[in-house]
Order: sequence, then C-alpha cells, then structure tokens
Amino acid sequence: MAVSRMTGVLLMRALSVRNQRVLVVFLALMVGAAIVNALVSVYFDIDIKMSRELRTFGANFYVGPAQAHTLPEADFDAVAAAAPPGLVEAGSPYLYGTARSELERIALAGVRFSALKRLVPYWQVEGDWIGVDFDDRNAMIGRTLAARLAVGVGDPLVLVKDGDKRTLRIKGVIDAGDASDSLLFINLPLAQAWLEKPHTISHALFSMMNREGEVEGFAEQLRGGHPEWTVRPIRKVSSNEGEVLVKIQGLMGLVSIVILLLSTLCVNTSLTAIVSERQREFALQKALGAADGAIIRQVLLETLAIAVAATVAGCLLGFVLAQVLGQTVFSAGIGLRAWVVPITFALSLSVAVAAAAVPLRRIMHIQPAAALKGE
Amino acid sequence: MPEQTRAAAAAAIETRHLTKRFGSVLALAEASISIGKGEFVALMGASGSGKTTLMNILTCLDTATSGEVWLDGVDAAGFDEEARREFRARHIGLVFQQFHLIPYLTALENVMLAQYYHSVTDESAARRALEEVGLTHRLDHLPSELSGGEQQRVCIARALVNEPPLFFADEPTGNLDEENESRVLDILRRLHADGRTIVMVTHNPVLGGYAQRIIHLQHGRIVS
Repeated sequence: MAVSRMTGVLLMRALSVRNQRVLVVFLALMVGAAIVNALVSVYFDIDIKMSRELRTFGANFYVGPAQAHTLPEADFDAVAAAAPPGLVEAGSPYLYGTARSELERIALAGVRFSALKRLVPYWQVEGDWIGVDFDDRNAMIGRTLAARLAVGVGDPLVLVKDGDKRTLRIKGVIDAGDASDSLLFINLPLAQAWLEKPHTISHALFSMMNREGEVEGFAEQLRGGHPEWTVRPIRKVSSNEGEVLVKIQGLMGLVSIVILLLSTLCVNTSLTAIVSERQREFALQKALGAADGAIIRQVLLETLAIAVAATVAGCLLGFVLAQVLGQTVFSAGIGLRAWVVPITFALSLSVAVAAAAVPLRRIMHIQPAAALKGE
Repeated sequence: MPEQTRAAAAAAIETRHLTKRFGSVLALAEASISIGKGEFVALMGASGSGKTTLMNILTCLDTATSGEVWLDGVDAAGFDEEARREFRARHIGLVFQQFHLIPYLTALENVMLAQYYHSVTDESAARRALEEVGLTHRLDHLPSELSGGEQQRVCIARALVNEPPLFFADEPTGNLDEENESRVLDILRRLHADGRTIVMVTHNPVLGGYAQRIIHLQHGRIVS
C-alpha cells in the first residue's frame, strides 16, 4: 500500500512539474483522439447517410418479367420478403395500361401510394401526395398529362369503359421530369380491375440502402433463384453510390492514419525531450537500486495517465466534431455509438505506447556512473 | 567455511589487481586495497588519478575490466547488472558532490525514495534519518527551497535510511561553504563513531585528514 502511495506521489509530481511538455503530449493525443473519434463515427454513419442522400435520386432496383409482359403481384411481396433486414427502404409494384377518359385516351399506372413518397422523393407535387394504398377515389397526375387534359388539383377526372364510369379527383399534380409526367397514377387494385388484370403487375421498383454493395449481392441472389425475373440494380445510382462511399471511407481511413502518425511523432518528440531532461533523475533512481523495469513502468504510467485524460477529452471533442461534419455534409447529426469510445481508446493508447517505445529504450541505456558524473 | 567467505570476513572492502580500461585508456591499474569493517578511509588523488573509477566499481555502478572485488563478504566481480542493482539497493549508501535530489519531491519523499527501491517505504524511519542530520524542520521542503548544505544533508539521510553496511561519499563537501562543510564532516565522524564503514573520495587534503587512513592514487595506481 505504501509502495502504491509512493508510485502515486512520483506520478503526480512528475506530471505537475513539466507543464509545457505534458501539455504538448496531452494536446497531441487529444487532437488525435478527437479526429479519430469523429472520423470513426462518421465512417460508420456515412454509408447510411450517403445512402439516404442518394435515395433522393429515386428507385435503384428493378424487378420485371424476363419473358412475359407481366408478373404476379405476389412476386413483389416475395422480393421484399427475400431482402435482408433493413435493405429495402421503399418499394411499389407498377401496373401500366391505357384507359379512356371522357376527353381522350390516357396512360395510367397502378401503384401502392404509401411507398411513393419514399420511392420517388424527387417528385415535385402540387397539391398533396396520396398517403394510403386503399384510396381508390383520388388520383395523382403528371403535369404534361394534366396540361393536355386541362385539369388541376381538385378537379374530377372521369374514366370510361364500356359504358362504365369512374370519377377520380385529382389530389396532386406531379412534376417528375421524366415519363411519369405523362401518366395518371391510381391505386393498384383499381388499375388491376379497370385494366382487367387482377393480381398482376408490370414490374416492381425498389429503393434500397446500398450498404457495402449489398444491392448487387441481393440482385445476384434473386437472379439465381428466379430465372423468370429480370433483376437489375439501377446502376446510375447504386453503382456510383458504392464507389463514392468506398472513396470517402478510404479517404477517412487515410486521414485517420496520417493524424495518428503525426500524433505519434509529436508525442514521441516530447517524450524523448522529457526523458533527456530527466536523464540524471533516472540515473539517480538506478543508483538507488531501481530496476530498469521500475523506471520504465513509472514513465509508462505517466504517459498512460496523460493519454487517458487526453482520450476522454478527445472523445468529447470528437463527438462535437462529428456533429459539425454531419451537419455540414449531410445536414444531419451523427449517431452516438458507444463502441466508438473503446476503439478511440485502443488507438489513442496504442499511439501513446508506440510513441513511448523509443524514449523508454533510452532509459534502459542510461549508465548511472556516466550520467551522475560531476558538473 | 568457503575461501570466498573467509576472505570477506576479514574486510568490508577488498580488491585484488583491479584494472579498468576505457578503450586504450588505463583508468585503474592492478589496484589492490583492503578496508576493514568500521574503518573511515579517504581515497585521494588528483583529477584523472582513478579515484572516481575505483569508487564507481566499489559502489557497483561500474564493472572492472579484470581483478577481484569483495564487498561485505561477497564476490562482486561476477555480478551481472541485476545483481549489482540489488546489491546497491541493499548494501550501499551513496552521497554525491552534486547532491542529486529529485527536484519535485520534498526532503522527506527524497529519503523515502531510497526505501521505495530497497523494499517498502516507512515514513517514520525517513523522518528519523532526517532528524539525525538535523533537518526536522525541512521535511516538506523541495530541494529548491533548501540551501546547499541542507541538500547534502538530505542526501546523507537518503544514504543512511536503509542502514547500509557500506557508506560512500564522493566529494561530499565539494559544493559547500565552510560552515556546511564542517556540519557534513561532523555527521560523517558521528557515523564512523557508530561503527559504519565509510569511504570518502576527495582531493582536499584537509578533508582527507578526517579519515583514519588515506589511500593515494596516481595515474590509476595505488601509490600509498
């Protein structure tokens, strides 16, 4: 117990007398820990954040018939059920056909409205989205078609078939900038009934999170099990997304390594200077009977004490830094992951120990007789 | 009784044909000395005479190139580094000309440091050692708050606290004024009177006069 007390006295006093050098070691380790903590947090959050960002470009996964023109509607549910948990962000079956309105013949698409807002978030909608799948009284219409039919939000649109009429109210006018602008979107069961294609779809579109190329893997899995399907990740989104993710994560890894190396060099330089300044002190301890191991333990303890304090401060600073990065790049916070803290500690303490290795070796080579020689 | 132990029984310190070379420089040549238990001996000589080299070997801070060293009954010539360290901690008290106190430890803590590397710290024993050298009122002072004489007395207390059988002092008054020199010498004489074996390195003939016996070195050789 008394020995421990002396160890504590040596530790606290040694740290308190070299404020400047201790501060340099502390700052180097703290900055290293903060940046590594922030980058590790962002690293593991970035694929989710980037995926969400790129999701705004629309669906990135297509499943359609390989030979025939249509698929059973149940196939859509089969695809969704086969996907790994969390992969499918949104998806909707599509059934295309033509119908007569009171004014002219039009192209329509039956969809599941509940998924539409997440599947095609880039649509600019005048009026409102239809939020539920069972709504068969309202419709959404592409702006080109709406202009041609001279209808707007709140207007009725009447479908006609063999003397049968169905009045739909326009709830939203879509500006998609693609073929959707010429379509009338109605509820899927209504489309199936009107087009007389029960439980049938033309194809399915999905929006998937592209975690580490999972989309491509899932596509391969579906192709292997279902030759009757055409399965296609929409590459202009998912492939680029994967490449960007890999590059950004690689860059973060590289920056972390560089920061850790710089931190190691800085700590090493300071510790070398400290050992050099304390050469006589260590020589005296050896002359009094201290083993090399005891002195090395003492210096290592001092270094680890600084490193632990610096890492605690670095973790706090790193969390703030991660939030700044998250807000700046993704306009969203970075989640607090508890396991980032032990990673930061492990890296930071490794840096401290690696930086101390050379100065500690120098302690072993101190010869008390030479170091304590007269002035 | 083995021959080695018989040899030791006769003397606290004994060397036979002790030689030390630093490259081509012969620092100590065939030095043979014998210092009895309880004896107060001064090692004297000019700078470069080999007295510090001899003292470093006798205090196990250095090794000889050849020859025998017997310390407190033990053959020290064959010690490895760990054995020398262990022997220093248990058998040798060292006083330096430059004091060599740890600047961030108080007088009491500096004394306790020797206990720490010897076995366990004992604050009351450390206090007694400082009391013996007249520093009861300076226990909690840092070396920077002590005069040169007081620092040297802390150094002596540190050398005494583990009650080593062999006490070495290297120019113990070299950095002190007359008053403090006299105080330190008084302490050394008292220690001698208590029966300790003391070896003092000095180039000062007046100081050497306080010892029972003087061993003179010249160019690495014992001349008298």
